[in-house]
Amino acid sequence: MRDPDVAPNVFASDAPAFHERARRFETGLSRAGLGLVPKLGRRASDALLARLLRLLAERHPRAFEALREMPDARVLIEPVDAPVALLMRVGHDLSLHALPRGVDGVDETGADAVVRGPYARLLDLLEGRIDGDALFFRRELSISGDTALILALRNTLDGEEEMDLVADAASIAGPLARALPVLRRNAGPVLDRIEAARRLLPPPLRRGIERVEARITGVLPGTRA
Amino acid sequence: MDNFELICPAGTPAALRAAVDAGADAVYLGFRDETNARNFPGLNFTRQDVADAVDYAHARRVEVYVAINTYPQAGNLGPWQKAVDDAARLKVDAVILADPGLLAYAAKRHPDLRLHLSVQASAANVEAIRLYRDAFGVRRVVLPRVLTVPEIAKLNAEIDIETEVFVFGGLCPMAEGRCSLSSYATGLSPNKQGVCSPANHVRYEQRGGALASTLGGFTINVFGEGEQAGYPTLCKGRFVAGDGAGEGPAYLFEEPTSLNAMDLLPELKAAGVRALKIEGRQRGKAYIAAVVRAYREALESFAAGRPVSHIDLQAMVEGGTQTTGAYTRGWR
Amino acid sequence: MTASLTLGPVLFNWPVDRWRDFYARIADEAPVDTVIVGEIVCFKRAPFFAEAMGDVIERLSAAGKTVWLASPILVGSERERAAMRDLVESDAGLPDGGLIEANDMGALALLAGRPHAVGPTINVYNEATLGWMAGRGAEAVSLPAELPAATVAVLAKAGRELGVETEVQVWGRAPLAISARCYHARAHGLHKDGCQFVCGNDPDGMPVTTMDGQPFLTVNGTQTMSHGCLCLAAEMNELVEMGVSRFRLSPQAMDMVRVAEAFRAVLDGQRDGAEVAAELGGLIDAPLVNGFYHDTAGALRVA
Repeated sequence: MRDPDVAPNVFASDAPAFHERARRFETGLSRAGLGLVPKLGRRASDALLARLLRLLAERHPRAFEALREMPDARVLIEPVDAPVALLMRVGHDLSLHALPRGVDGVDETGADAVVRGPYARLLDLLEGRIDGDALFFRRELSISGDTALILALRNTLDGEEEMDLVADAASIAGPLARALPVLRRNAGPVLDRIEAARRLLPPPLRRGIERVEARITGVLPGTRA
Repeated sequence: MDNFELICPAGTPAALRAAVDAGADAVYLGFRDETNARNFPGLNFTRQDVADAVDYAHARRVEVYVAINTYPQAGNLGPWQKAVDDAARLKVDAVILADPGLLAYAAKRHPDLRLHLSVQASAANVEAIRLYRDAFGVRRVVLPRVLTVPEIAKLNAEIDIETEVFVFGGLCPMAEGRCSLSSYATGLSPNKQGVCSPANHVRYEQRGGALASTLGGFTINVFGEGEQAGYPTLCKGRFVAGDGAGEGPAYLFEEPTSLNAMDLLPELKAAGVRALKIEGRQRGKAYIAAVVRAYREALESFAAGRPVSHIDLQAMVEGGTQTTGAYTRGWR
Repeated sequence: MTASLTLGPVLFNWPVDRWRDFYARIADEAPVDTVIVGEIVCFKRAPFFAEAMGDVIERLSAAGKTVWLASPILVGSERERAAMRDLVESDAGLPDGGLIEANDMGALALLAGRPHAVGPTINVYNEATLGWMAGRGAEAVSLPAELPAATVAVLAKAGRELGVETEVQVWGRAPLAISARCYHARAHGLHKDGCQFVCGNDPDGMPVTTMDGQPFLTVNGTQTMSHGCLCLAAEMNELVEMGVSRFRLSPQAMDMVRVAEAFRAVLDGQRDGAEVAAELGGLIDAPLVNGFYHDTAGALRVA
């Protein structure tokens, strides 16, 4: 059966294989970047995520106004294959926090709803690339708690045009912002892109590049798949 | 011959632009409140959104219809009447209504506003349709999904207003606008609040490898490990019929399937149908772009007398299966 | 307007002899004022009852009941339309006070300008629609089961001003949905066209249970009903105060004479509604529910 969620198969008429590969690459890269966030320490990571939110709010005012108009609630977005989960508070006090994965997983206390799945799927979800109902059709994403909250979040983000979280996130991560368009434009082996990224990454991110590489190529033992 | 009009859904401004760009002749949408039958969290249009939508669509010669198709609440008619007034003020091309009281209001207050009869009115026969035409000047009826194509043909031979039929998307096995199943399980209904099987009454529950979905505390389905899951729309659930001595849980009302009537274009044309409607104001812009584009291509081929190449929409449909639904007698 | 009791049409597919006997006993023993007859769920069942219809109407009328005829809920095919037209024309043949109760907008259309009744499967949700119907000749409107008390109150008040009687179902499984598809046939692996009338095996409908074994719904051919038995005995006084003047009992395969007697006693102020609910609850194999009226899930019972 065809995968109902992989939008590029259906929508991108130009070189779907390339798009898919590039998408896979930036997904892996951003996941690794996310993994580094808590290593910055709580205050620095909150500041970084607050900066990301402010930037997103500037770029997507309609969606963010809608998120602020929602009743106060917390959604835990938990990528099962990343070391970090994100707790998003919607409503008047819109905020984003990184929660590291401990031995017992991620602390769900205080979350009204949890959406859990592979990082790539969650990124598609947050960028509005997955159709609303398709979210529910698949077993890759699991949902618990307040279903209406997750639906509202998804509908709100889907109502936004061309949300590009990877590019937005990269743009606050310094030189990566300049690398990304290049990465996306140029075809070629994925690992070439990593080389490009390695050269361009700022020092704190560069330290994690081996892990990035390993995750993308899937050779590092001990990472959760 | 005139081609079919293609009527497409939009739950958000982004979806509206996707539908317009993909080849819609008209886009239907609702205000962000209980006046429309897709009153879901995070969906629908503010007044300003509708104004922008009309600008965007009209600049591309695409029409905008506003669905105000729930039944106004007794003692609180204001929001529905205001929705009609605002739709008229915003110069939409038609309003889609179901309630006779609201139709009477619209006909009297806005004699130039084009009125369509919503599927939620469930007008399934010539006498009912003539009543809405004679009483309110309704110009088009969206037919309930209970009629076969031959029945639609007979009906069109006897009425002199346009008919619009659903060709793709979610399928109500019950006559629309006459269903209180959701209300029975949750207290919230399509007719009153514009919701069916509302998400705030849905819970997913992991049971080992299985996943149970409940609505208002009633188990609507249990999916085995690896089985594709569905949203717990009440009539698409699995239940045990009779004393349980039969075959066990089954999709008693309808499988999780989607309507796709693309193969029936010649029959629908011969039956005198004016407009084809795609369901899915609650679906994402990705779905809308893909389905509208596929139907636009199919209609172009059909109008040019070319064979309609069957575009694969399998990826878009719930449960991965498609049906021609009530349009063919075997469905009953 | 004095409050009165209505017996709604039998919705289930009973053998014609049982059906005839049921109405004979109603005629002789049940303290109801109006009896509505007619097969409104499935066109295919109608011929079975046609032969007995004349006798039943005569018997009920002779016993002093007002007899109304109900039109089908769903009318799509040519044959269904023809049957609907014939039915609408037949009101002239009804004894005094007889009306046609329209259950579809098509029948309502054909009844324009003549006294008629509006059944609970026509959507009357607000005073504007009620007013429109009154202007076309509606004398009584039976309200949809899902309406909450606040809505009933507004409509009952509007009805009094318009001279339209309002009716509320106070007993029996609630009708929830109608379809072109037959779920009785489907559950038996059959098709509607070759249904073998399997609905006749379930005189109180076919139970529908969740996968966790919880009773949920009732299938009656093309109709879906509640599993819970709607009971508003305890709410009767409140309904009378609102101005509701007609109270509908929907037949179940049980002692409906006893049900009618109990509701009559409540209406006459001789018995307490809650006490009657407790007694009648023991007579049917389903929980009593009143959630719709109390503006919550219809499956719930609010004390």
